[in-house]
Amino acid sequence: MTKQTQERKYVPELPQKESEELRNAAKAMSAKVIAENIERMKKTNPQRPALMQYYDEIADFFGRRQKEIQEEKAKGKKVIGYFCMFAPIELILAADAIPVRVNSGWYDTSKLGDRIVPVEVCPVIRSTIGAKMISLSPYLELSDALISTLTCDGQTKLSEIMSDYTQVITMSPPRVKDSPQSLHLWKEEIKSVKTQIEELTGNKITNKKLREAIETMQKATKAFRRLQDLRKGNPVIMGRDAMLVNQTATWDNIKRWTEKTEELCNELEKRVQQKMWACPPDTPRVLVTGTPMYWPDNWKLPTLIEEATPQGVLVADELCSSDRLLYDPVGVDEWTMDDMLNAISERYLMASTCPCFTSTDGNEDRINWLKNKIKEFNVNGVIYYVVRGCMLYAMEYARIKKALDKMNIPVYYLDTEYTREDVGQMKTRVEAFLEMLTARVDF
Amino acid sequence: MITAGIDMGIQTVKVVILKDGAVIARSKTFSGFEPTKAAEQAFEEALKTAKISKSDITQILATGAGMDMAPYANGTISMMSADAKAGVYLIPSARTIIDVGAEEARAVKCDERGVMADFVVNERCAAGAGTFIEAMARALEVKMEDMGPLSLKAERASPINASCVIFGESDVVTLIHRQESKPEIARAVFDAMADRVSSMVHRLGINPDVVLVGGVAKDVGFVASLKRKLGINILIPENPEYTGALGAALLATNRVKGAQK
Repeated sequence: MTKQTQERKYVPELPQKESEELRNAAKAMSAKVIAENIERMKKTNPQRPALMQYYDEIADFFGRRQKEIQEEKAKGKKVIGYFCMFAPIELILAADAIPVRVNSGWYDTSKLGDRIVPVEVCPVIRSTIGAKMISLSPYLELSDALISTLTCDGQTKLSEIMSDYTQVITMSPPRVKDSPQSLHLWKEEIKSVKTQIEELTGNKITNKKLREAIETMQKATKAFRRLQDLRKGNPVIMGRDAMLVNQTATWDNIKRWTEKTEELCNELEKRVQQKMWACPPDTPRVLVTGTPMYWPDNWKLPTLIEEATPQGVLVADELCSSDRLLYDPVGVDEWTMDDMLNAISERYLMASTCPCFTSTDGNEDRINWLKNKIKEFNVNGVIYYVVRGCMLYAMEYARIKKALDKMNIPVYYLDTEYTREDVGQMKTRVEAFLEMLTARVDF
Repeated sequence: MITAGIDMGIQTVKVVILKDGAVIARSKTFSGFEPTKAAEQAFEEALKTAKISKSDITQILATGAGMDMAPYANGTISMMSADAKAGVYLIPSARTIIDVGAEEARAVKCDERGVMADFVVNERCAAGAGTFIEAMARALEVKMEDMGPLSLKAERASPINASCVIFGESDVVTLIHRQESKPEIARAVFDAMADRVSSMVHRLGINPDVVLVGGVAKDVGFVASLKRKLGINILIPENPEYTGALGAALLATNRVKGAQK
């Protein structure tokens, strides 16, 4: 499909000069923010594992990973970008394509998105539109097609807007999660995506290929879980570092990422034995839930938590941009094509705690997930994080708050925007919350 | 033991000095463009009143929006912790403390020790805070301190939108053009503010006794509107604008005692 030749339905053409100036400015800012984030992560934990340097490199959008993808693409590989974590990575890998997540974490480009959609729209969406308008994101630009799951309203319309530029493969998740027809519908979506990926890449997804891909991802899940398990005890890694490790899995070569993460876990296990903690063991333990947070700009909440006075440590999160990413493996009984597709369908639908769903019990799965994490990770308090315009997460708060109140777990609702200007106000709130947790521990 | 609290508010800096748990001095000054200097000045004044020198003070804690700019401070503490501590100190039955300052409103839930259990803050809009009264007084061409007494003379309420100060002002202008009386417009302003503050408090849950502090607690118009809106009695301590500074001073005492343990 050559979408470029068609008339654009949403986005007007930006003058080349303006686009270039904006891109250069955004790129420079991005490089600055990435360097600063890493610097601050190092400062928070002066004994930050040297192995983190690998993830720092992968986290540079304009660095080595971009070059690698470019090189593979030159050799004929296709790149498939995706938005939500519903995109079946196993199918992309089985077709010898490169999966890469493309949601934007850049604050500045959200202002550009305002030219197309109103400011009331979720900033993650506006920022992604803006990034596309000035071709800022190397991964978005390298994508031959985008898989967009129509989870929320913003994501649904974003798919249309993105189809002004490139082929978009949409997936429609059922809104009722637990009905028999839902799983059936979702499986049909998975099959349809499989066909579209095969068409795009020209590669047939064979039994053997799919099994290999599933096994690759199962190994990744194992490493991923090992890392999260290490966060259950005294803090051996800061939350921001763990978040970066988790998130780089969405851009990196997943086999290499798995090896590196196993190595990191080996190192962290040694540190547990040496009682070498990333911060004092009595630091209040915070869990963050809500809107996904994307590198590099939208690192402000975890940064505030871990740099605050009194300090907190992010021990777990319930974010589709971090702890939820690779948590659940695809579980296969028989390695037949049908069974594998069934297993993929189930893993991507049933394991999700996204608020786009409801079910007989509402989104009770999310509450259970949170309750379990709170217990397993010995969480002292929860920050419920929402960006303005993120309707589904904002609306589910009242219910989650009630459930957590019953557990006597303090929860604070923190809403923000894609901006740096509110860091001062956020700091006041986060510090008050941490003071509260400290007071509860002290008395 | 002598301790002090400095509340670096957006409009005014407040200082409280405590000796063995009792207030021996309080002072305030406008923050202006140099809040640090303003704080030094307020501090000197408080020292003079207390007839002590700075070296007599064991611990100083700062709070408020500009707490990082506070001079002499040994540390900082959030306004929410300070409000909870001082609220219960002033009125021991207090379990919900509403603090309405110049640019921010917040509500804190606390236990009998004055330890915060939950809190909410108004979201980046001054329409539920003191600046709103100031802007509306300007539009009505009356003195800010006259707004409250004026509003009490209103015979009925005429609603305005207080989603933001700027839009609120244009609403007030509309009322002026409709030739509504000044008392009614003044009441509309307080009702709109009380509306915002009460939704905020409802999000937290109302836990009696409810105590109102902060500079705006001195405004009879706002107090009347908030009582009407919440439908409950609201207690107001003396010198409500010093609550933050007092809380910081009390927590400074706690810190010293904690360190001695």
